[in-house]
Amino acid sequence: MFEVPSLSDLNVGATLPVTLLALGACVLLVVDLFIPRERKSITAWLTAIGIGVSLVFSLLSLSGAVEFGSGELAFSDMYRADRLTDTINVAALITALLGVMVAYDYLERTRLQRGEYYILLMFSAAGAMLMGAANDLVIVFIALELLSIPLYILSGFRRPQEASEESAMKYFLLGAFASGFLIYGIALIYGATGTTNLPEVWDAVAGVVAEDSAAKFLVMIGAGLVLAGLGFKVAAVPFHMWTPDVYQGAPTPVVAYMSVAAKIGGFAALVRVFGMGLSTFVLESGAPAAWQDTIWLVAVLTMLLGNVVAIVQSDLKRLLAYSTIAHAGYILIAVAAAGTAGLEDTAAQAVVIYLIAYAFTNAGAFAVITAMEKDDASNTSLDALRGLASRCPWLAAAMAVFMLSLTGIPLTAGFVGKWFVFKVALQADLVAAAVVGVLTSAVSAYYYLRVVWMMYFEEGEGDAATPPALAWAIGVAAVGTLVLGALPYLLSDMAREITLAFGG
Amino acid sequence: MVPLWMYLLVAAGLFSIGMYGVLARRNAIAILMSIELMLNAANINLVAFWRYNQPAQVGGQVFAAFVFVVAAAEVAVGLALIINIYRQRRSVVADDVDLLKW
Amino acid sequence: MEDISLVTVVFMLPLVGVLPLLFVRSLSEHTMKWLTLTVSLVTFGLSLLLLYNFDTRVAGLQMVQKWDWISSDSFTIRYYVGVDGISIWLVLLTTFIMPISILASFEPIKDRVRLYYIFMLLMEWAMIGVFVAQDLFLFYVFWEVTLIPMYFLIGIWGSEDRIYAAIKFFLYTMAGSLLMLLAILWLGNEAGTFSLPEIFAKLNSGELSFSPSTERWLFLAFAIAFAIKVPMWPLHSWLPDAHVQAPTAGSVILAGVLLKMGTYGFVRFNLPLFPEASETFAPYIALLAVIGIIYGAWVSYGQDNVKKLVAYSSISHLGFVMLGIFALNSSGIQGGILQMVNHGISTGGLFLMVGMLYERRHTKMMNAFGGIWRAMPLFSGLSLVIVLSSMGLPGLNGFVGEFTILLGSAGSQVLSLWFTVAAAVGIILAAVYMLYMFNTVYMGELDKEENKRLPDLNWQELWSLIPIVIMVFAIGLQAGFFFNYMDSSVRDLVQYLGDTITAAAGR
Repeated sequence: MFEVPSLSDLNVGATLPVTLLALGACVLLVVDLFIPRERKSITAWLTAIGIGVSLVFSLLSLSGAVEFGSGELAFSDMYRADRLTDTINVAALITALLGVMVAYDYLERTRLQRGEYYILLMFSAAGAMLMGAANDLVIVFIALELLSIPLYILSGFRRPQEASEESAMKYFLLGAFASGFLIYGIALIYGATGTTNLPEVWDAVAGVVAEDSAAKFLVMIGAGLVLAGLGFKVAAVPFHMWTPDVYQGAPTPVVAYMSVAAKIGGFAALVRVFGMGLSTFVLESGAPAAWQDTIWLVAVLTMLLGNVVAIVQSDLKRLLAYSTIAHAGYILIAVAAAGTAGLEDTAAQAVVIYLIAYAFTNAGAFAVITAMEKDDASNTSLDALRGLASRCPWLAAAMAVFMLSLTGIPLTAGFVGKWFVFKVALQADLVAAAVVGVLTSAVSAYYYLRVVWMMYFEEGEGDAATPPALAWAIGVAAVGTLVLGALPYLLSDMAREITLAFGG
Repeated sequence: MVPLWMYLLVAAGLFSIGMYGVLARRNAIAILMSIELMLNAANINLVAFWRYNQPAQVGGQVFAAFVFVVAAAEVAVGLALIINIYRQRRSVVADDVDLLKW
Repeated sequence: MEDISLVTVVFMLPLVGVLPLLFVRSLSEHTMKWLTLTVSLVTFGLSLLLLYNFDTRVAGLQMVQKWDWISSDSFTIRYYVGVDGISIWLVLLTTFIMPISILASFEPIKDRVRLYYIFMLLMEWAMIGVFVAQDLFLFYVFWEVTLIPMYFLIGIWGSEDRIYAAIKFFLYTMAGSLLMLLAILWLGNEAGTFSLPEIFAKLNSGELSFSPSTERWLFLAFAIAFAIKVPMWPLHSWLPDAHVQAPTAGSVILAGVLLKMGTYGFVRFNLPLFPEASETFAPYIALLAVIGIIYGAWVSYGQDNVKKLVAYSSISHLGFVMLGIFALNSSGIQGGILQMVNHGISTGGLFLMVGMLYERRHTKMMNAFGGIWRAMPLFSGLSLVIVLSSMGLPGLNGFVGEFTILLGSAGSQVLSLWFTVAAAVGIILAAVYMLYMFNTVYMGELDKEENKRLPDLNWQELWSLIPIVIMVFAIGLQAGFFFNYMDSSVRDLVQYLGDTITAAAGR
């Protein structure tokens, strides 16, 4: 009845970066058993090498130098290897690499050095990459779980410390709750369209709208539930409540990684599902897709809540947690813009540019907190920053760069991201969202600058330890932030060929 | 034959009960069970849609299989996390999961 | 790669100067000071070369440099710099003020010296960037970047309330400029390019046009950003705080150059991009300008803190500049541009003066002084020249600028004569508060014991005041030389304004 595809039909070559990473993680799982406890740095190195190799392949594929596999589609149309996939791969792998570097010394000094940490991190990176490559709603779901389940475990990695365990449980319960929404939404879309394959969904939704049948409502509810499920992953209001608690409780290196990786995966999937699959869900001809209004309203709420509540925070991790909520809002504006016909590609480019800029900046900021944090997870309050500039001038300078980048000051990567997001928002006529966006950026300047002022303008005992791996991570992130800010064409050239159109 | 909408109704009911359970219960195990209800509601939908709309293809069925495999993985991790907390506090009441905390 | 334009050299030199400060660990404080001063002096020297190479007959941009920075299918962003008659004097003002303020920092700044000079050079770099940028993206980049060094200068080296002042300065100006960012993006999306000359060309050829209401919104988005920077009444409240708390050199730069970015923005962007809206809004802006003139003068008179007095006088002086610009005629705009330079020089001088008093007595209150003339004759003599220049005594620079502005506003077709009358009242008020200040601080009996043994100027102080005094006389006596450079550009601009306004009236 069904044809069994042969290996060559699978087009495994096209999926090389993610396959390598996943296989590498599986092999490492076994190899790790033979590495003695006190020499886990070998595992860390092997992980870094695995991620590095995968990154090289992704970059090769991105630059077009080498063509992996034949054609874009792989695994019976489940996997799509296009420019978006490549750029998301690069973003996720860079984040993973920074995550390993940030974690190494922290695990060492808190006596948590276990190989599973790195392996879980690799698996979740593979999940984030798969989300960007999803050509089928099934993949969206599986990739989401592949991304999330390791993150639940990583959040609780610092057991028996209560805060860490508690944050893991919260993250798990709410995360699983959100996947319930996602699957239910997918089921409804499947019911309305008879398929889970995104190009076919795209086609079928156009038909559903044209017929004006009751299935229209199924699609509508389904899209709403999928938005809720993915909105949870990216911490969009009103699905954000887990963020501050989880980020505060989880080990800081984990937060450095997951605050970025979860967003990369979540937004990649949002772009795939909404920009690609549901872009034909246009209820009146000529109008933007029906989900656009909802998404930009969510974006506005997210920006407002994230930025306003961040003002009153006194713990650095919590402050940055709200800041990540706010940034989800900015990226959501671009996702909303994808609802305007003809802007899908530009919007996807803006999302990717923002994500890469954000990856360097946010991972760097949390890396600095890791450097400050004491072994008992204290010393992460804003007050702990006092006088940091005179003791650790380079660390403080790096933190200042990250804060300015998060504010969106020019010559940092953050500005480039905002520039493209607001640009596409204006193209899509989302003026209200753009205005709220710039005004909340001004609000955000207050709390980001407060970090800078604590470091530079106040006297105090602020101190930090930067062992080599961590110092390299912070250095790479800071230089990346500045270089991408000064040479924005690096980002825009990388993203410019991203297109969501179905190739033939 | 039983019409499709009946299945959908049951699924929607299960989903709602599950959602209510997650929001109202404070025991972590109970929340986990409620989440399972939600996932299974989705599964009923998937299978029903498959049976009524596309019996010739396996898509829906396979998806349902995926869902419960993944759900099992999730539960394994979740129970481990909960047991961890239980060992320390002798309680699984997720009082601290304060959904409305700012 | 083609030849590198002189503008690029002047522009990038301060940034090059930052590198040794950042990376050479072994520099002594002494070397750092002199290194920074040398870099800024060389920059000034090269900018004089800019003046020498400038062709006064050409209205458009000169010494242009154009490199693609970001290109995509639908738009381009360029590194695009050049100078014309409007910006050349502001570039020179920047490079002139910077060595002076660096020299003036030699003594007062003893803490975190390296960081201080890094920020000074970054400041110079960003300010020159604002004046030479011909691409909206590039302009916006440097417009925002100027905030950062100033934020640190106020926040680290300022006086007691410095943190409040620094934050207020940053947030105020940033909130305004973000709306401009949206307007820039909108313009760029419509025009398909961000470079200014190309947008002008498209506007001229009618390829790009706005509906009147869009034009007004865009005008306002730009105008709010600039008006906060100027600052125009009622958006001025950040200015007294920032000025009073900033270190001396910070105040000098703030008054000397940063405020001019706002007025420059009006001339560079608002007038040529939105001529019709400019005409519509001209009376309102002129009204705010005049209120600013009177208000600034009035509040200045009420101050007992010298630095605050000077700060409020800035509001008054920049009111004149705004009035001149929105007279929308040749003499108004030329007077406005010259007055920007004048204000930079004389108010910069006033702030230096206040700084020198503060260094000696550690107070800025007027009643702590009195009879300083007897103790410090040299200082007092130079101060008198600066004070007189600031109040607009004929023969000195302030007079030329203010007089031309009044000529312009009196002859303006868009402004009623009442604006000119009110502004003239402002000049009288300026004389009142300035002389009152001079009288209290410098004249009278030397009755306070602490003031009797005040040392006169040391060499750094002397050499930071002398160039200012020279420029006060030079502009006062040879104004024609300065006007000559802006003539063609301004005439071109006014011509364009006139044409579009008539065309609009004819429609």
